[in-house]
Formats: sequence, structure tokens, C-alpha cells
Amino acid sequence: MQQQEIHNFLEKYFQSNHCEIIENGPGYLIVQLSVEMDKELMNRPFYWHYLEKTGGIANPMRLTLITDSQKAPEQLKGEHIHFGSPRLHQIFESTKRLAGYIRLYENHKVNQQQVPLLPWLGLNVKISYQCDRKRDLFHSIGLQLINGQMVEGFYDHLQNMQLTPKIPDYSFTLSPLVKPRSGITRIENYFRQQLDQEDHSWAKAAIERWNKDLKLLDHFYEEVEEKSENYETEKQALKEQYEPKINISIINGGLFYLTEKAI
Amino acid sequence: MTVQIEFDNTWQDEFINRMEQDGPWGNWELFKLAVEVEKHLVIPEFEGLQAPNHLSGLTPLPHQLEVAKQVVENMNGKAILADEVGLGKTIEAGLVLKEYMIRGLVKKVLILVPASLVTQWAFELNTKFYIPAMTQRKSYVWEQADVVVSSIDTAKRNPHRDIIFKQDYDLIIIDEAHKLKNNKTKNYEFVQNLKKKFCLLLTATPIQNRIEEIFNLVSLLKPGHLGNESAFFEKYRRDSRSLQDDEHLKELVNKVMIRNRRSDTGIEWTKRQVETIAIELTKEERDLYESVTNLRNEGDWLGSSQFSVMTLQREACSSREAVFYTLKNMLQRKENPSQQFQDQIFSLIKKVEAVTTNSKGKKALELIQHIEDKVIIFTEYRATQLYLQWFLKQHGISSVPFRGGFKRGKKDWMRELFQKNVQVLIATEAGGEGINLQFCNHIINFDLPWNPMRLEQRIGRIHRLGQEKDVKIYNFATMNTVEEHILKLLYEKIELFEKVIGDLDDILTRLEFGNIEEHLIDIFGQSSTEGEMRIKMDNLTAMIQFAEEMKGEQVHAATGNS
Repeated sequence: MQQQEIHNFLEKYFQSNHCEIIENGPGYLIVQLSVEMDKELMNRPFYWHYLEKTGGIANPMRLTLITDSQKAPEQLKGEHIHFGSPRLHQIFESTKRLAGYIRLYENHKVNQQQVPLLPWLGLNVKISYQCDRKRDLFHSIGLQLINGQMVEGFYDHLQNMQLTPKIPDYSFTLSPLVKPRSGITRIENYFRQQLDQEDHSWAKAAIERWNKDLKLLDHFYEEVEEKSENYETEKQALKEQYEPKINISIINGGLFYLTEKAI
Repeated sequence: MTVQIEFDNTWQDEFINRMEQDGPWGNWELFKLAVEVEKHLVIPEFEGLQAPNHLSGLTPLPHQLEVAKQVVENMNGKAILADEVGLGKTIEAGLVLKEYMIRGLVKKVLILVPASLVTQWAFELNTKFYIPAMTQRKSYVWEQADVVVSSIDTAKRNPHRDIIFKQDYDLIIIDEAHKLKNNKTKNYEFVQNLKKKFCLLLTATPIQNRIEEIFNLVSLLKPGHLGNESAFFEKYRRDSRSLQDDEHLKELVNKVMIRNRRSDTGIEWTKRQVETIAIELTKEERDLYESVTNLRNEGDWLGSSQFSVMTLQREACSSREAVFYTLKNMLQRKENPSQQFQDQIFSLIKKVEAVTTNSKGKKALELIQHIEDKVIIFTEYRATQLYLQWFLKQHGISSVPFRGGFKRGKKDWMRELFQKNVQVLIATEAGGEGINLQFCNHIINFDLPWNPMRLEQRIGRIHRLGQEKDVKIYNFATMNTVEEHILKLLYEKIELFEKVIGDLDDILTRLEFGNIEEHLIDIFGQSSTEGEMRIKMDNLTAMIQFAEEMKGEQVHAATGNS
């Protein structure tokens, strides 16, 4: 993410969260936080607690974010935001938290005829292959909750559609036959099957490296009769470092009511 | 093979809950942003770094990228970065730090560097890596800022110390970490007690194959990895040679240390041009030098070691001011000085007063006027430093001093004055470390250090990445003095100046004969005749040359690049 991308991202984030952007200049942003966003980002629960108890007037903070110190006015005081900075990580986390669950309807333009909308369960998933190194894959899966059809790259389909949080006129939704919870299990099983068939030479290699390190560690303890706590700690540290595993985590997802021809 | 797969179940419970409650549902724009974020955070391959893609203004050199990659992929963020001077260890450390920050593994960072480099580190991290590093100015910084740069001397003292010990650091970076080789020091104890997840130790001096150093540095990175201290020493001290052959130790060193040499980097380095300038002492200077030298034959009158005589000899080769300062100190420190002692000192002071010119100073002036460009003068003595500053000023040349003892702000200021306003910077030894002056390409070694490593440190101030011109080194040596011997031995026979530090390290390590400086003190201090001195020197030369030949045949024990 380059600094300009970060700038654009922040702009969108605050706009989507209904915060007023007071100034938006080259290399910096000044944002008036809403009460909700102050609570979300500024980490001052005591202030808000106090305010609620006393009934005072809320005074949410203003944030000055500098995305490019070369371009921003020299005297401007604010937080420097870069890819990797804790503040940006916090905002990333907040984005994911605030947009973890969604329900949307396809905003079809068919008029004067009742259109049925089919329920889809859509999940955006991150698969992390982890040992002493790491690799992630992004997957987006859609499961139609009536006939059980499963689609990869679901998110890309969604991006090309008009979606709305309110059910459009002349539409009605069909009730799912597959319950969402068992839908999620179907998707989980789908991933497990896929992953079982993969070549896991990366994991083999990691175990080899692990064993080599263990041998080296053992060597230094060969002549020590009673293995100390240190030894166990080091051994555990090696396990944490090398042990291969795959984590499947859900980034976000939700229900999507789409027309029959949508996918 | 099957790999353990974990599926995150936390999402679905909340999802079902929201279905039942009919919301609340997120907004589509944010939903898309979240996916965008995740796509940026995804690490697409097991190998490779993310950081360079996010640093538009920086083009790291291949060896720097390789180091960062090794540290992240193979060393689990616990490493000794031991590149030769001037290869950009700061950049390497910055890359590692950035990489971990991007991966969300590191938030709280403590960077301990020499006082003179604090500002520079913070500046580089901010401008090159977009990392908001704060320099430590107030004690509350430790708690409030995520990335703090400080000198270890400040950090280890209270009230800072107590506050720092309360912090949980994700990453600690220590520059000039060779100062931590000894586990009895306060600095070592301090670093050992810091809470840390990842740790980078930066040093231009690699682990010399000394068991203790290996044990101490590795123990900082991986406490307990080498087993119990006493058992370890029992195993390896028994036969100190076993170290070189011990595969396990070698493997271990390779696991924690990376070292690049200039020659490995494939970068075209500018040349080093070395010129020895012989200085003829005036009659009075010669008289002073001889009188000091003769002290050695006068028995135990100083009540101290040969060391004092040798110090005076070396000072006499530098400036009369240096000699005077030492004499004055000797007189003041002596309790109840005998009449003989006082007379002796006063007669020497007379000789000092008889000296009216400084031959080296005159030569330096001539050179500086001829060079018409920035020049750094290194001297071992503060008195010489002051004298030179005054002397040059008399001839219309302004200069700035530089010393290890300067506060950080003053060092920064002196460096800036030198870069922008004045022609000459006069530095004493302690000032040589930790200042980067690659905008200058002339060095005058007004007097020579006896420790070759220190000499390399001096040259390393200007002969580093970013130096665009050939570097010119002028060595002053007074004829027929101890200085000339040193120069002949170390700097001509062994061609030290043309060498780079790594080679020398290897040689010294292989010899296992310790510190060159100590050998020299022995040679010049203990030899009773010129002949004995010459023989000892020839021996030393032969040993070094022998080690050099051996080096060609053997693989480095600790290159760390396997």
C-alpha cells in the first residue's frame, strides 16, 4: 500500500463511518470523529463512562492524520500513518470488525413484476499456511441456500452488482432450505477436502528444519543430567516456531439475496 | 502427509445471533474496504518480503534485502547482523522492523544506539521507512510512543530503567552490540532483563571465535539455548581449540549471525588511496621525545608501568600539549611526590616549553590548504585536538571538534556545521564511532591507533555506502620514533590500509593470539634492545602473514551465509 492508497483508504473509512472530514489536503486529513468512532478508536472508556454518568456534553476528538510528511504543512501536528503503523492496524481491525456481518439485496431494475430473490451465504476466507514461514490465500465462497450450489470467487461476482441494504420494490425473498449453520459447515468441509488433497511438502520441510534445530538444542544439553526449565521453554519455543498447521479464518460474510440469473 | 487444520468457529455464532436479531448489519462500503485491507495484508508466498512493496522511496541493495529475508524467514527475528562497517546495517534493521510491523507482529519497539546516532536513526526510520520513531527526550516517552530510539546509557539509568522494565517489547534493536560481549557489565545485565520477543544485535565486529562471546551473545537472543552456563564452559573450555572444529557451534553461529563483506556485495566500492607522510621532528621535538624515551632506563621512578612511558612517547609524537597534559596529571595524582620525582617532571616540562613548533601541525596545515576540500583529522589526544583547532584558526581555517563525550545534540550540530560551514573536523578516538561523514573523502591520521580495528572504524566513517569519490588517507609518521615502527609493521608490511576489516578479523581470530595492541605494548615496552624489538616485530609480522596464507585455504568459520 503506497502512501496515496493509505490516504484514500482513510478517507473512505471515515466517510463510510459518517465522520466529517474537516480538511483533506495533500498528505494529511483532519477528521471530526463521531461519538461512535471516538469510542471505537480513541480508547478512552473512562471518559465516556464518566460522561454517561454525569450527563455532560459529548466532545468527541478530532484526529489529524499525516499520510505524507513531505507534502503536509510543516507545522502540522498529527499522527503519521504508514503501512505497518499501529494506528493503521487498529483502523484495519476496526474495518473488519465493523463490516464482519452483512445482509444485502440485489437492486434489480425489473419493474412491475414480483421478482424472487434467492438466498446466498457468502464467506470471505483467509487460509493461512503456517510454520516458521507463512503464506495466506484469499478465498471467497458463495453457497446458495436452496439448491446447495457452491461458487468460488463469489466476491468478484458481488462487486459487479448493484446491492442495497433494503429489499427493493417488487421483490420477495425465498427462505433458505439449508440452514446457515450447516451452510457454514458445508463450506468448512469443502475447504478441508481441498486442503487434504494438496501437496504439503512445505510442512515436511518445516518438520525437517524443526528436527534439525531440536538436535542442535539437544546437543547442548547432552551432558546436563537434569533437563532444566530452560530446556523445556526452548523446546516449546521451537514447536511454536516450526509446527506446521493451517488456519482457516473468516474475514467477513453474510447473506445475499440475488436474482436467479445473478450468478 | 496430513496437516492439522483449524477452522475458526467464532464467526458463525455471532452470525447466527445477528440473523435472529435481524442485525445489525455492516455497510457495503466498509465490507469492501475490509476485503481490500485483507488482500493487502495477505502474504502470498512463503518466501519473500512485503516491506519493499510499501516503501516507494527506498531501493534497498540486494545484500540488504537478503539479510532481512534471512532474519524473517530463517532466524525467527533473533539475529546478530554483523556486516562490515558501512554496508547499511541500519537499512537492514529497518527492513526487518518494517516487515514485522506490516505483518502485525511488532508494535512496541526499543532501539538502543550510541548517543551520536540517536537522531540519525530516528530520522532514517521516519523518512525512509515511514516508521514514526521517537527520540527519547522525556521519561514518559517510553510508555507513550511505540517506537523509541535512545542511547543505552540513558536507558539503563533510573528513572528510565524502571519504566522500561515494565514494558513488553516486541522487538529490540541494539546498535554497536559488540559492547555486550561481556556478561558482567551493567549494559549486558540491562539488555538481558528486557522483555523481548524479537531481537536484533548490530555490530561491525563479528563474534570472534571466543567461546564466551558466543555464549553471551547467543544467550541474549535465545536464553537457555546453550544449556547451563557452567556445563557449557566445562565442555568447551577444556579444549579451547575444539571451538573451530565444533560443527555444532559453527551451525549455531550460522543460525544467529549474518555477515556480509564488502567483497560479497558486488557493489563497486570507491578506492582507498593511502599515503604515508614522513615527518621530520625539529631539534627540540626530538629532544623531548628522546628524554621521554630515556625514562625507561631510569628504573622504577614512576612507580608505574612501561605503559606510562609509552604513552608519553606516543604523545611526544603527537603534540607537546599532549605530553604536558599527561605530565601535569602525573604530578597532581601522585601523593606526596618525592623531590626527585618533581624534578624529573619539571625538567621534562622545560623540554616541552622549549618546543616552539609542531612539525605535524605544519604539515597538516599545508595539506589542508592544498586539498581545498573537507578534511577529517583524527588524533588520539584531546590536548592535540585543542591545539590543532587553535593552530588552524591562526591560519584562517575554522574547524569543529568532535568527541565521544559530546551530548547527542552537540554531535548532531558539529556534524552539520562540518557539512555546511567549515572545512575541517577534528575528532578524537571516541568520536570515531557512530558518525557518518560520507560527504567527506579525506582523512588525516595525525597519529595512529595501535588497534587496527579502531583504524578501520575511523576509515569506515567516510568509506561507506554513499561515498562517491575515492577515499584519501594520509598517515603521519614521525621518523625514528615508535610511530614509524608501528607504521612499518602494521601498515606497510601487512598492508592493513588496503585491507578491509573482515579480512583482518578472520586473520586475528585464526591466530588466537588476542589483541594486537597488547602485543605491541609488549614489544615496545618490554624489549631491552633495538635488536630484540626488531626480532619480536618480525615474529609478529610473520605470524600475521602466516595466518593470512591459511585464510586462503580455509572456509570462514563464521560467515553466517550458509
